Formats: sequence, structure tokens, C-alpha cells
Amino acid sequence: MNISLGDRELKIGVFICACGGNISNVVDINKVAEEIKQLEGVAIAKTYEFLCSKPGQELIEEECKKNNVDRLIIAACTENMHIKTFRELASRTGINPYQVLRVNLREHNSWTLEDKEEATAKAISMIASAVESIKFMEPLQPLKSEVKRGALVVGGGIAGITVALELANSGIDVTLVEAKPSIGGHMAQLNKTFPTLDCAQCILTPKMVDVASHPKIKLYTYSEVKDVQGSPGNYHVKIFMKPRGVDPEKCVGCGLCSEKCPTKAPDEFNEGLSQRKAIYKPFPQAVPAIYTIDFSICKKCGLCAKACPRGAINLEDKGKDIELDVGAIILATGFDLLDLRRYEEWGYGRYPDVITSLQLERLISPTGPTGGALLRPSNGQPVNRIVFILCAGSRDTSGRGVPYCSKVCCMYSMKNAILIKEFMSSIDIWIFYIDVRAAGKGYEEFYEKSRKEGVNFVRGKIGEVQYNPSTGKLIVRAEDTLLCRPIELEADLVVLCPAIVPSKSGLELMEKLKIPLSEDGFIQEKHPKIDPVATLKEGVYVCGCASGPKDIRESVIEAQAAAKRALELLASDYITIEPEKALIDESRCDNCGACIGSCPYGAITSQEGIVKIDLISCTGCGACIPVCPKDAIELMHFSRRMLKAMIDGAISKAKFKPVVLAFIEKKIAYSAMDQVGLNRLKYPYNVIPIYVPSTAYLKLEDLIYAFSKGVDAIALLEGRPELIELMKGRVREFQDKLEEIGIESMRLWFTDAPVPSFRKLRDFFEQLKTMAEDLGPPPEIEAIPSEVESHG
Amino acid sequence: MAKYAFYLGCIAPNRYPGIEASVKAVAPKLGLEIIDIPGASCCPPPGVIRSFDKMTWYVIAARNLSLAESLKADVVVVCNGCYATLRDVNIELKENPQLMQKVNSLLSKYGREYKGEVEVYHFIDVLAKDVGINKIAEETPLKGNGMKVAAHYGCHYVKPSKYRPSMSVEYPELLDKLIEALGFESVQYVDKNMCCGAGGGVRSSFLDLSLDFTLTKLQRMKEVGAEALINICSFCHLQFDAGQKMLMDKGLLNFSIPVLHYSQLLALCMGVEPEKLGLHEHAISTRKFVEKFLESSKTKG
Repeated sequence: MNISLGDRELKIGVFICACGGNISNVVDINKVAEEIKQLEGVAIAKTYEFLCSKPGQELIEEECKKNNVDRLIIAACTENMHIKTFRELASRTGINPYQVLRVNLREHNSWTLEDKEEATAKAISMIASAVESIKFMEPLQPLKSEVKRGALVVGGGIAGITVALELANSGIDVTLVEAKPSIGGHMAQLNKTFPTLDCAQCILTPKMVDVASHPKIKLYTYSEVKDVQGSPGNYHVKIFMKPRGVDPEKCVGCGLCSEKCPTKAPDEFNEGLSQRKAIYKPFPQAVPAIYTIDFSICKKCGLCAKACPRGAINLEDKGKDIELDVGAIILATGFDLLDLRRYEEWGYGRYPDVITSLQLERLISPTGPTGGALLRPSNGQPVNRIVFILCAGSRDTSGRGVPYCSKVCCMYSMKNAILIKEFMSSIDIWIFYIDVRAAGKGYEEFYEKSRKEGVNFVRGKIGEVQYNPSTGKLIVRAEDTLLCRPIELEADLVVLCPAIVPSKSGLELMEKLKIPLSEDGFIQEKHPKIDPVATLKEGVYVCGCASGPKDIRESVIEAQAAAKRALELLASDYITIEPEKALIDESRCDNCGACIGSCPYGAITSQEGIVKIDLISCTGCGACIPVCPKDAIELMHFSRRMLKAMIDGAISKAKFKPVVLAFIEKKIAYSAMDQVGLNRLKYPYNVIPIYVPSTAYLKLEDLIYAFSKGVDAIALLEGRPELIELMKGRVREFQDKLEEIGIESMRLWFTDAPVPSFRKLRDFFEQLKTMAEDLGPPPEIEAIPSEVESHG
Repeated sequence: MAKYAFYLGCIAPNRYPGIEASVKAVAPKLGLEIIDIPGASCCPPPGVIRSFDKMTWYVIAARNLSLAESLKADVVVVCNGCYATLRDVNIELKENPQLMQKVNSLLSKYGREYKGEVEVYHFIDVLAKDVGINKIAEETPLKGNGMKVAAHYGCHYVKPSKYRPSMSVEYPELLDKLIEALGFESVQYVDKNMCCGAGGGVRSSFLDLSLDFTLTKLQRMKEVGAEALINICSFCHLQFDAGQKMLMDKGLLNFSIPVLHYSQLLALCMGVEPEKLGLHEHAISTRKFVEKFLESSKTKG
């Protein structure tokens, strides 16, 4: 593929907005227009009060048509405003919408300066930079990609069930994959739900049955997703049906096999409080209502096969591979509970009467191991006093637990306390907490109710649980921090509320699919506030506890939202995507794969030996470009030539000293810079912004080029969190290399620029400019001959 | 033969020389070569001295370590306090060359230098790694025959855990195993990992408070019928033995539990006479316990 040189006669139209005085009060826009008009290629340079207004738009359209303008520069407010407005205007005017550049003379100029001369000088430099680079901008078309009208839902708990039903009811073919023998997830294990005290199974099982009987849902239980390839709208999925040993078509769930089976194992559904057989049905309401053989313990004695009246058993079952194509994937892999044996001071795993909250659910559940009778696991005796330990592993920054709050534990402890009190009010219940969090609809009232029922709440973390062999009781000790004194109680049962952690099998899958996780190990949402059910990978959505601890109501809400987001993708035959992407020049690429690991979004893969960039996952950041040994990758919207032109343009008109070039990542760091201006914080005008898709796009030779042209200092501002660690390391390397050729490493600075930390940027630029002044001009050096000329 | 420089501390030589005698009595049969450290001083204590002047603590400890270094032997201790000092100082000096340098510059005034070439081990860890539970069982013809004893690990044997061999901090097992190797039953009791009350300057400054700890521990042991208390620390040994007498004198205790350092119990099981182990000199009489033990081991052969 050739990237064309922009050497036919160009007609660039430059429009400078006064912005009602916001810009023109500080920047002399008429002077700017005069200077810019003189640049080669500029056909017109005009000013106007409000370019975004209707008359402003009409002016632009008229002037452009009159002068046959084919590239447009709007020097006005931040790019983040009126994006579509100006793109559509360009289309109307016959200019390709991707050959329009916005120069931010407000947030990045007039709002950060007071001196008119300084602001004007900077404005001229900024627009000159845009003028030079627009000469090399390619006309682009949005891309279209075919969409397969099917969805894959991974995980069959309440979230997965809900999203599957929502999608299926909207006419989408859904494949639901669940790793356990039955769907239902942890919700099926719960006794009652807060705050309504509904029976969990009663509200869940009808939905489970709906899933099984829905004509548009294909259910694979006891199965795992092994691999996903492809791109949004077109994912190829490999599923492995684990060997169940029982034919689902033949098994009617009579249970005669299980009666004869001699082998036992701890019952997972009852959280180890009882045993099950090697051939088992996980719980009576399991869907599908069939048996499964646990081959890890099965002795293959064959008694089950003999007992089965339907011949449904196959002891030689090796499992089965399934492949299918879908357009969207929804992850609903749920949670696990933190293993609390590491907290030796609480005795979990050592004392049978120290149990987890999930074990308590099973203990008091009518379908549980004791039929709902609350008895001590150690000796089957009645329970007189229960102690709940909240935050067992949560809100722990010591390294043993997790730092976050697991959200649901305060509520479910109160729920169980109320239920137990209703069962027998004489049972003494103590809940030891750090804070009581009851922030949902009806939750605070529920807390009041539990206190009225006589549940004791103590603000203090239990320091140790001991066992008294003489009395057979447990002893718990804590500090009652409200009364400022120690408290010691004897208890029959201690219930730990473990931290909620991402499900282990879920984590393994995310690793395989390269789905970015957040710091806490859960799946990272695209944006935690305004896009909470999409992941950072296009076409993959998330709902339920897979993205963080939450209760059933929130999981259901997220599932419904995720279904809708997936429908956006699945509802059309094809999807349109912005063409600002990286493209591989096949004539140069030798498929070495060096770029694959460099992409923070997992957009580059090797498929059958050919390296491909998925144009839908690609965000056009350019991190892959410097890594390619053959210079075979280019950004469609921001070629290497454009970058060089931007630098040239900025420097050519910078008639001041020192000159500091700030390479600013175009989305997040740009927004952080906007905040600086919005807050009217002032910083030196010598800082000329050069906007790049990401700082990872820059090569050492770009920096050397800038220094060779007399730039005094360079700053790199990176906002994309996925690239910050990478850039820290890369900048250190750049600094070392610069030192080697005589450029002081202090001339190159780096900062991460997340939007919330925008204030530091003001000091950053102040200090950089002062340092550049102190250092004086850089030593004379030669630029590295650029490969840009030799490209295509 | 594993060779160790035996660091005695203060309490064993001054108050309970039977502990030293016991270690030396059992060493040959277990394949351990134990040598003395002439000129060794107080460790100094990890609670009091470290709190008052940390550099003093480092320097005096380093001097003791340098003496063992000159003897080209690793250090073995029988007191948890000495263990905390010598082991923690040793690790900190090795991990921080600047600190080591500073300490050595002060040590040089006394004509000594520590190069960081020794390791510090607790006596029971030496038994575990150089002798082994099986050999201990083999070399002890007299066995406990199920007599109940209460094991007391003390504090500094397990903590700070980052400077200790890997083990459970809440439920350590080695002493219990060593006791069982001798045929005794090591009973579980509430507050097994509670402090004896002595350390950190508490015994010297707040005697009654320290005795309160001791009293609680003894009561817990009595609840489960322990016939003796087995410790691995000279200071705990002092607190429980002399302290118990003090409690009785104050009228706060109306029972007694004899106190033995594990080295003494081990030597007893090897057939060494109780007098040779100083067992007749304890504040709380060990006679009934020793007699019962010898009696029952006779009948079982």
C-alpha cells in the first residue's frame, strides 16, 4: 500500500474564532490571520466571532466553496466540543471529514496566558504546525465490517442468565457457556435475598428453566471457552464440553446411578458441609436436571452404568470440541470467595465451627445439609450464640487480603441475623464491623430492623478466634472501639464474611482473551462511570460480579444494560468504525510478530502465521509503529510525515526562546490540558503542543530531529494508563541515548497526564521552561536521516 | 558433627545453669558439637536495650556475633530474647551494608569486627534440622507415656516472622512434635500463644502486670490438666518458675505446675539424673513430676 505524497496543489482554509472574546481578548487574531495567510498552501485565513454558530458555519461553507478549499483548519476551542458539527460541515462543503484539523486556541492558549504578544506568538506557532501537517493528511473513509448475528455469554449465574434471556427475547441467537454442571451460580446457593427476604431459588429457578427451554438459547453446561479469535462482529469461538460421562439426551435424572455409587467427595454446592457421590446432580433444581460424573474421583467401577435403566452412562466419555461464530461476547463469570485459611488467627479450616457466610447460607437453607436446622458443624449441638466477622479479607491493605470493600457483606449478615432471630429469637447474635454499609433502596431500613430484632453490633475487628477444649466453645476477642475497651465472647458459631474476588476460572479466561483487568483483578470497564458494561476490548461486554463486587439487583441491571450494548453491535448487518487506525504495509511486513506484544489493546494477532491488526480493536495509538523493525506499520490518520511536518511547522514560526515542544497524547492528556485552561491556570507560552495519538508513537529520531532544529526542551505527556509504565521505561532509554550524543537528559521530561491530576501540569511546564532557560540552547547535532522520505 | 557456638545469655548462667547443663548433656548423643563463647556478654535484650538506644543494641550484639565468627561456628541459643537480638541484628546487618559499616566503625574501638559470616539458630530448630525427630525418639530410652504437658513457645521464637524460618505464626508445631517424640502428650489450651509476661521490660517495670499474664497462662494450662510446662526460653522459664512462686506468695495461686526447659526434658528422657539438670533447684518443685515420669517409664520399660 502506498501512502501518497501531498504534493499536488493544496488549498488550505484557515478559520480563526474569536470565541466571543475568549480567544480574541488575549490573542490578536487579525495578526495571526495575516501571518498564516503567508504560509505556502494557505488559500484563505479568516476570522469570525463564533465559528460554531449557524452564521459561522455558513461563512465557512461559503468561503471554502468560493476558494475551492480542500483542507480545513479550525482554530477555536477544544477539539472535544462540536466534533460532529465541524466534520459534518466539512462533508457538506465537499471536504473529506478526516482532512480537518482543530487547533485549540482557547483551552490550550488564551485561557492559559495573559500577555497578548506571548499568546499571539504561540497561536501563530500552533496554527503553522497544523498547516504544515495538514498537507500530508490522507482522505479517509469510515470502515465497515460484517456482523454475525449471534452472542456468546460466558457464565450462567444470575447475570449470565439475565443477559442471555434479554438477548434471546430480542431475537438474537445466544450460546450460554457455564463451567459447572448446572447454571444458577452462587445465587442458587443462597437461602433468601435482602432486603425483601425472597427465597433465592424461587426467583431464580423460573429463569433457569426459561433459559433451558428458550428456542434461541443454546446451553452448554460443564463446558469451557477455550479460545476466541477474530474481531468484533465476527468472533470465532472454541468451546470444550468437559467429559460428563452422562448423555444429556438420555438421562432423566432418576438418580438410581447415584444411589449405587460407592465414591464420595465434598459437596461443592453445600460448600463442603456435606458429601456427594462421584456421579451426582449438584442440587435438586439443577438445570439441566441431569447427572454428571466427576472423573477426577470416579473409580470406573461401573455400578452406575449397570443401574441406569436408560443406558445413559458412558464411562469412556472424553468430552467434545465445539466451534461457533458470534458477533458479540458478554462476560458474566462471577466471583469466588477469598480463601480465609491464610488468616490463621480466625481458625478457618482448623475449627469446624468457624464457617464462611456462604456455608451459613447452606446451613440455614431448607435444602441444605441439615435441612435448615442451625446446628454446630463440630458436634451437631444447637447454636446459642453466633458471631459474624465482617470484612474478612476486605479493606485489608496489609497484603493478605484485598484493599476494596466487597459491598454485600454488611447486608447479607443483617439478613441472616434477621432470619435466625425469626427462627429463634433467643439465639444471641453479634456482628463485628468496621463500618456498616447499607446504601441501597430499603437497606438502611433493613439495618434498623436488624437492630430492633436485638442483633448486637460492635465496631471492632476480631483479633483472634480460639477454641476452648474444656468448654468446647469458641472464644472471640476484639476491641469495642466505640466503648474503647476489649470485648471477649464465647460463641458456638463464628461466621466469616470473606472478600469477594474474581472467579479463578474467569481470570484464566481473561488471560487467554487478553481482556484488560483493573488493579483489583476484576474486569476493567471501558469507563467506570459512563460506560460500565463495556470492556476495553470492542465487542466484549461485562456484567455482574465479573467487573466487581455487587448484589443481585445491580448484576441484573448490568446484565440488561450489557444486552442492550451488545444489541447495538448485533442489530445491524455491519458496523461502522472510525478509520483512525494502524495499517500494515504487506509489501514490507515479514510477519515477525514483534508488534504483537506492543499493543496494549490486544488488537494485533498472528492468524495462521500472518500478522493482522484488527481494525475494530485498534485505537490508533501508534504504540506498534516504533517497534516494527521493517517500518511496515503506518497510522492512517497520522503518518510519520505528518508528525515531522507538525514539528517543522511549530518550530518555523516559534520566534521566541526557549522553545519547548510538548508531545501530548490526543485523548486523555489533551483533556487534562483542557482542564488546565478551563481552570484558568497559567503556564509559560513557550510550550508548543504537538498532539500525537500517543507518546508511544514517537521514535528517538523524532526527538533528535527536534533538538537538531533548535528545540530547547521536549516534554512527553501520556494519558493512556495502559502506556504509562511503558513510556516511563522508554523515556529513560531515550534520555540515555540523548546523553550519548551530547544532549543533556534533562532536556527530555515525561509525565503521566490523567485528567484528575491536571493541576500538576502547570508546575510541570513552569519548571520545564525554567530548566530550559538555565540550560541554554542545545548543542548542535545532526538529525538521523529519516526513513520517512524513503517510505512508499 | 554439626558444630555450634553456644550463646548462653544471662538468665541461664545466672539463674538456671541446669539449662546449659542439659544442652551439653544431650549434645554428644545427638551428634552436635557444642563449644563455649569465652567473653560473650549480655545479648543485649531486644525489648529494653533496643528501645533505649538502637545503635548500642546493634553494636553489642555484633560483638557477640563476632566472637562466634572468630570461632568459625554458627550460633545456637536457648532463650527467645537472645534469639530475637542475635538473629534480627544479624539479618539487618547483612541486608544493610551501610549499617554494617557504621557498626563496625564503632566495634573497632574494641578491637573487633563482624563480617557477617555466621548464622543464628534457636536450639529447637537445630534439633529439627541437624538431628531430626526420629533420631531424638531413638536416643531417648525413657518416654513420657502419655503424660500431659503444656508447650509454651513464647513470642520471639515466631516473631518477627520475616526474620524467622517459615512457619505458622499462630499455630507453630515444632515444639509440640519434639515433645511428642519423647512420648508426652502436648495438650492444646486456650491462649497457648500468649506471652508469659516477662519481656519488653514488663517484668522489671510492671511486675504485677507481668505476673497477671503468667497467672492467666497457668490457669489455662490447669484447665486441661497439664502436669508440667515445657518452654524453650530461659526468660519464660524464669517468669513461669520464679513468677509462680511469687504468685503463690501473694495468695493468687493455689496450685502449681512444674516448669522445664525442653533441653531439660530431653536430657531427662535420655536418662540423665535430674540433679545434673538442675531440676532440684527450681522455685517450683519438679519432684512429683519427675518421680511420676521415672515411675511410669520404668513400668513400660
